[in-house]
Amino acid sequence: MSATAGTRRYVGERVQRVEDARLLTGRGSFVDDVELPGMMHVAFVRSPHAHARIVKVEVAEAESLLGFPGVFTGADLTETLVTGPSPAGLRAVVRPLLARERVRFVGEAIVAVVGRSRYEAEDAVDAIGIDWEPLERAIDTDGALAPDAAVLHPDVGDNVAAESTFASAGLADVFARAEHIFVKRLHTGRASAMPMECRGVVADPAANGLTVWSSTQLPHGLRGLIARMTELTESEVRVIAADVGGGFGGKGHFANEEVVVPLLARRLRCPLKWIEDRYEHMAANAHAKEMVIEIEIAVGPAGRFLGFRGRFLGDCGAYSVAPYGGLVDAITAATLLPSVYSVPEAGYRAVAVMTNKCPAGAYRAVGRSSGQAAQELLIDDIARNLGLDPLELRLRNVIPHTGPCISATDMHYDGGSFRESLERAAELVDYAGLRERQVRLREEGRYLGVGLCPYVEPTGQGTAMSKANGVPSRFFDEAVVTVEQDGSAVVRVGQQNHGQGHETVFSQIAADSLGLPLELVKVVQGDTASAAQGMGTFASRGAVVGGGTVRLAAEAVREKMLTLGARMLEVDPADLEITDGRVTVRGIPGSGLSVAELAQHAYFSGDDLPAGVDAGLSASRSYDPAETYSNGTIAVALEVDVATGVVAIEQLVAVEDCGTVLNPMIVDGQVTGGLAQGIGLALYEEIVYAEEGQLLTSTLMDYPIPSAAEVPAPLVSHIVTPSPVTVGGVKGAGEAGTQSAPAAIAMAVADALEPFGIDIDRIPLTPDRIRRLLRDARIVA
Amino acid sequence: VSSTAISVEVNGRSYAEQVEPRLLLVDLIRHVLYLRGTHVGCEQGSCGACLVRVDGKLVRSCLMFAVAVDGCTIETVESLTPADGGLSPLQAAFREHHGLQCGFCTPGFLMAASDLLARVPSPTEAEIRDALGGNLCRCTGYAGIIAAVQHAATAMEDEE
Repeated sequence: MSATAGTRRYVGERVQRVEDARLLTGRGSFVDDVELPGMMHVAFVRSPHAHARIVKVEVAEAESLLGFPGVFTGADLTETLVTGPSPAGLRAVVRPLLARERVRFVGEAIVAVVGRSRYEAEDAVDAIGIDWEPLERAIDTDGALAPDAAVLHPDVGDNVAAESTFASAGLADVFARAEHIFVKRLHTGRASAMPMECRGVVADPAANGLTVWSSTQLPHGLRGLIARMTELTESEVRVIAADVGGGFGGKGHFANEEVVVPLLARRLRCPLKWIEDRYEHMAANAHAKEMVIEIEIAVGPAGRFLGFRGRFLGDCGAYSVAPYGGLVDAITAATLLPSVYSVPEAGYRAVAVMTNKCPAGAYRAVGRSSGQAAQELLIDDIARNLGLDPLELRLRNVIPHTGPCISATDMHYDGGSFRESLERAAELVDYAGLRERQVRLREEGRYLGVGLCPYVEPTGQGTAMSKANGVPSRFFDEAVVTVEQDGSAVVRVGQQNHGQGHETVFSQIAADSLGLPLELVKVVQGDTASAAQGMGTFASRGAVVGGGTVRLAAEAVREKMLTLGARMLEVDPADLEITDGRVTVRGIPGSGLSVAELAQHAYFSGDDLPAGVDAGLSASRSYDPAETYSNGTIAVALEVDVATGVVAIEQLVAVEDCGTVLNPMIVDGQVTGGLAQGIGLALYEEIVYAEEGQLLTSTLMDYPIPSAAEVPAPLVSHIVTPSPVTVGGVKGAGEAGTQSAPAAIAMAVADALEPFGIDIDRIPLTPDRIRRLLRDARIVA
Repeated sequence: VSSTAISVEVNGRSYAEQVEPRLLLVDLIRHVLYLRGTHVGCEQGSCGACLVRVDGKLVRSCLMFAVAVDGCTIETVESLTPADGGLSPLQAAFREHHGLQCGFCTPGFLMAASDLLARVPSPTEAEIRDALGGNLCRCTGYAGIIAAVQHAATAMEDEE
């Protein structure tokens, strides 16, 4: 606290999190913690085939084990989820809640079984017999696009779920007259967000309607979906996402089970619980990021970039994920193609290709982690080809100023430290020193590499950003701020917290606006019965949209407090300030009254209120921000052991600029956690299917997310370029590490192995893959 | 299904329960004894969210049957909280150093870290990373967790 009384401010401070105490003492409230009287448990029969016709489902033995009719097939639940069509290029793809007639990927739910315990339900699952007729499969994008490919959805016609193209006016021309055209093809691995808590749903049909607990990032969206599917009104459905054990996009789409469990609970008139196990999560929740990318860059004199062209084939799996659609990775990578570069022309073709794999959805840094890896690897190739240092080539092409500008794909950047972040990252990682060491170490047969990946990150998704991302839709959030009769405050937000520290940050913002101690502010979120309307927490929306909304509502309450306080104290509102729970006359310490006294007046003074001021101390606001982009640079230094193919990261530097920082501890946490996921994408994590479509990675031992042994502590450095277009100058900060660490690491590996002339065509760069690259280069160390 | 009588002491309290032989220890803890601090992240023994101590030894409670703890003494994450309701030095250090985000894996990390500090009062960073190598966290990137354990070690030494 500062020495001057009544100046306690919270925004920008390293405020400790208010949610931590319950989580540290084992008193969180996660979906599996919900226990209800008479609750039964659901388990699913899932497909062992990638593509097959269901000939017959035999349920008699299972029902006799259960002793009651607790088995439900696609014939019992005939509802479907339909994604598309949309003007943005999505075709209508129909997904049954439970597979009927045919299955399209290993893990697809076919039968739901209800038992008195999960153990009993799984016994019954094992007793269900299914006769199959295997079908031809389409396992990768090339195969799925071949003229004789097996078609997953005959009603769609072919395996293209969506397609979108764009070309700026002068694109063809710059490619026709460029001095050089460089091309890169990269296949990025299939990944999964893999939060530590799996999905889970509890549905309680008691009371007047339906209460559903779900581990989701989208409580309001889910409420709407359940209402439509159950033919209840949204007001009769209550969705609760209390503590959610991580999401990263993996819980940012609708899961079939989130509809199946409520429908069955209503049918059986008893509470039901389904807790996804890790196999189900890996086989059937959602995958992400697998793309076959081809980037071309037209280069003019002095290494100036003239045009970027990209083809993004996203492997969207067997269905088009709800609600975003199967194009989510490809289009998001494509629209960001110009990145931080001052390039006049750009164009893309983004295609979502359906294959017999688990549907792909959102995962942190959607599309961009893949697109940026391809693009930045190519830029390093260009530097090598032109005999330029890669840092120098980037400095020649990076947006030279810090002000707002429009990208070649029509993204409206709200300014940033594009050049400065690149220079600072180079300095912090000691780029010049690394280059010297690299030469020395190579003489000893050791291979050090460095990669610098500048980035611009679309954040704070509102309507404008949604359009800029190529998927136009309306997005906004609401907040309701109330100062209660005793001078404490309740902040109802539409955002849903699954680790981002919303309770803390939104309390900081409201406390500053209301002039209250942080301890007196409580945030209500994640429960549609008590929270404000929200579009969900994803795409780095929390700080910008959620925080901005809270600020607007709290400022409106503050205005009202000033109006009332001025009348009570008989001064001008402009002479008042509110800090530390007191309304005082500026320059007269100890004057005025407490917020509690003011609240008593607002609630109970009867008709003694100024004209035009209604009773109470509450305000509701909604907010739909303009496009806002954070930026920065990720730098990595690493050593590759050419004998084993193992990569050891030596240094990890993040220079980030998310505008006004609300809580530096939380921003650092977002950057650091994002980097760890980026390391996983670059080096370790890949969902692998066999040629016949069988899932080979079904445990956390086959899909190794980084542990404490693989993630060094990063050096995080901040530059602050406040947004001129958002409330408070805030930009989002959630995804940079995941977006750019894969590129920086892949570039560093290519840089380390430069003497061998390798061409990275796949990530992740597992030891096996690095050894193969070295073998293919015909130089075995 | 047959059931077996077991008696266990959990966090200093004695329980006598009838359990199916196949009931997992973590399901006994969570759904029979209603101690919800212990979490299930994988049921495959790879994430460490379900760590508890059985007769003083760290155990992945998703890989052990409840009948196997008959007569044993068990400590769960709830045992780490001081009786006065505040936070222990280790818990406080996790808060101070942002060693948790979503908090789902946190009980396992707290159990592994408290076990380490009981054995090695002043661990090196390498020792901490090694001891926590069997626990997975998807949110933090581990930096805050490592810092928290280092500072907790110092705080606990100062206390003594």
